[in-house]
Amino acid sequence: MDTILKVDDINVFYGSIHAIKGVSFEVKQGEIVTLIGANGAGKSTTLNTISGLLHSKTGGVTFMGEDLSKTPCHKVVSKGLALVPEGRRVFLQMTVQENLEMGAYIRGKVNPDDLEHVFQRFPRLKERRKQIAGTLSGGEQQMLAMGRALMSHPKLLMLDEPSMGLAPILVEQIFDIIQELHKDGTTILLVEQNARAALHIADRGYVLETGKIVTTGTGAELLDSPAIKKAYLGG
Amino acid sequence: MSFLTNLINGLSLGSVYAIIALGYTMVYGIAKMLNFAHGDVIMIGGYVCFVSVMSLGLGAIPSILLAIILCTLLGILVERLAYKPLRQAPSLAVLITAIGVSYFLQNAALLIWGSAGKVFPSLLDGIPSLQLFDGQLTVSGKALVNIVVCLITMTVLTLFTGKTRVGKAMRAVSEDKGAAQLMGINVDATISLTFAIGSGLAAVAGVLLCSTYPMLMPTTGSMPGIKAFTAAVFGGIGSIPGALLGGLLLGVLEIFCNAYISQELSNAIVFGVLIIVLLVRPTGLLGKPIREKV
Repeated sequence: MDTILKVDDINVFYGSIHAIKGVSFEVKQGEIVTLIGANGAGKSTTLNTISGLLHSKTGGVTFMGEDLSKTPCHKVVSKGLALVPEGRRVFLQMTVQENLEMGAYIRGKVNPDDLEHVFQRFPRLKERRKQIAGTLSGGEQQMLAMGRALMSHPKLLMLDEPSMGLAPILVEQIFDIIQELHKDGTTILLVEQNARAALHIADRGYVLETGKIVTTGTGAELLDSPAIKKAYLGG
Repeated sequence: MSFLTNLINGLSLGSVYAIIALGYTMVYGIAKMLNFAHGDVIMIGGYVCFVSVMSLGLGAIPSILLAIILCTLLGILVERLAYKPLRQAPSLAVLITAIGVSYFLQNAALLIWGSAGKVFPSLLDGIPSLQLFDGQLTVSGKALVNIVVCLITMTVLTLFTGKTRVGKAMRAVSEDKGAAQLMGINVDATISLTFAIGSGLAAVAGVLLCSTYPMLMPTTGSMPGIKAFTAAVFGGIGSIPGALLGGLLLGVLEIFCNAYISQELSNAIVFGVLIIVLLVRPTGLLGKPIREKV
């Protein structure tokens, strides 16, 4: 399988704080890859750097053979990379449908088939398409954020803590949806604190600790590793 | 009938306030900054129109268009030179810069056109007045123009932000710049566009204002600018219908105070009402308190 995303030795700073220290990893076509780690390990920072919201001092990000390090954030999505950011960040004062239209912003006119496709996957959104996104529940907002990202037809979908703050039943639903998307051919880079759930569905995983990758392996290997069990899976 | 006359005068003045307030509210909504130089763009619009009619000998319509075009360019230029370098700076720095730009524009006008007041040409005198109730009530052509232009501007802007792709992108930027960038929206271009629209509106307001009160000085824009800012806060800053409501209410209030209470006290009363409204509703009349789900 081809590597579609290659992150090579990135170093990211918040002022004088060295948040990401030489992180390198790759994602191959059709995989689910997960980055796990504790709070502050640098998972979200890594995703934000790939999507261009933050910049690395060294190294680079290559997507489909194209160097993204100098690409401004608003051009990244048109290369086929979509990020569902931490905390969803849907446009709370816009309707569900308008949020989805914003997802298709780079495509110009909204294709009704794309909209229908998202509504098929998330029927709840169809019921609420005229509703202001701020009135949706947390789970619905997460679905909206994912639907919005899908509207741009991403080749790689990056999800930042999609299960955060959701009831267990909803977490399960979200992970089911991620697997469905994967089955339909979307490559997924998943950042999660819920390491067990993430590793269960992932082909491969990387473990981040204070800005460095400390372990890597297939999902099953990491689930079985005693060190990982102790640190992230609750013994 | 004098009550109705006052009401119409109030609505006419309020319409001008509303158009200025729109500029404040849009720039605040998108760039999250108070552009205190907005009032001075009004003054520049007035002067451009004045020069174009008196010195270049152009007609009313080309002069107004010229004022709109030049003010739009001025707005983009000011944003590019003064505000864009401060995009990451604390809002206080931007606020002080805006006050600096305001003084810069006033003094530039002083340098170019001098401190003596200029009598603004009567561009709108050709518009017939409207006689109502068998001639008992006369609505002047200027008042009609003010109100109609204000309503047209509001409608167009509401449709623009509500229905068009670029307008929706503008609302997205106003809510969350980072998320808007992730959608592929060019935030810098959107902010420039907002300044362009706001400054174009300021030129329109400048022409209307100077036609109603035909005295043009480098400080002409300051007081209406402050009042329109008040109107924007009164209606709920960031909200387009809020700017309309705030502007109209402020205009009517001011004229009524002038007519029935006291001319000297009218500003004090107007601003007093603002303080009371903000004490009761800190987000303004139509401003929505933002609630976020975690």
